[in-house]
Amino acid sequence: MKKAGLILAAGLLLAGAAFAGFYYFGTAPSRAMLSEPQPALAWLKKEFKLSDAEFDRITRLHEAYLPQCAQHCARIAELNRKLEDLLNQASSVTPAIQNVLAERAKMRADCEAEMLNHFLQISRMMPPEQGQRYLQWVEQQTCLSGQAMEQAHQASHSSILHSNPMAGEHPL
Amino acid sequence: MKATQDPEEDSNLDKVLKQWVVNTSLPPRFQEQVWQRIARAEAKPETTATFWVLVRRLIEANLPRPKFAYSYVAILLLVGTISGAWAAQRETSRLNAALGSRYVQSVDPYQKVSITQ
Repeated sequence: MKKAGLILAAGLLLAGAAFAGFYYFGTAPSRAMLSEPQPALAWLKKEFKLSDAEFDRITRLHEAYLPQCAQHCARIAELNRKLEDLLNQASSVTPAIQNVLAERAKMRADCEAEMLNHFLQISRMMPPEQGQRYLQWVEQQTCLSGQAMEQAHQASHSSILHSNPMAGEHPL
Repeated sequence: MKATQDPEEDSNLDKVLKQWVVNTSLPPRFQEQVWQRIARAEAKPETTATFWVLVRRLIEANLPRPKFAYSYVAILLLVGTISGAWAAQRETSRLNAALGSRYVQSVDPYQKVSITQ
């Protein structure tokens, strides 16, 4: 029994070691990306097979874009708050509300244009094939696809319809 | 407790036992139920003991043989390798998706606004 027990234990030990080894070495590149100063950009480098020179240029571009983006974010957030305050006070759509809505829409349009410009600049710095792939991917993932708003709209509609089947119908 | 029994006490006990009459009637099918209970109690540990004994005998008889030992180790090694690679692939996909989302969040103002709100 001693010999059989030893073989039994050795088999289990080897299986455990094989699992741990393959898991450890298999996840090493991804874990290494997480310990980079900018993990998201490290991911971009790996995903779109960028050379060091391309990566440096893209990093500089990305870092230059972020403060502009943050400014826009802050401005949009500020307009959202302003709109919320106005909506709390008003019982109808006042000219002030219309102004804020128009300003926010313009800010969003500017934001989207700037973002698209940034994506195009980045894609031009990549090898052509990867640049094309990057553009396709980024359009799907960001608000440029317009899906986020439509999906949210559809989701809210379907939840209203589920909670009240008559809600979607015209009152007349 | 007494070490030896007194023969006179024994004969007295015999007499009392012979005079003892049980008037209470037994429940229907009492004897049959008792035998069934005994059979169940005996059968249960027997089955489990037999199974483990069988496994143990199988291991003792076959594992020390080189052919079986190599096959056993090779199969376990293969299982460990495949499951390790599969788990690593799943974790890598998860991390890649998370980092991709992080990149999008860093450049898409709408996602940032919805995060900060």
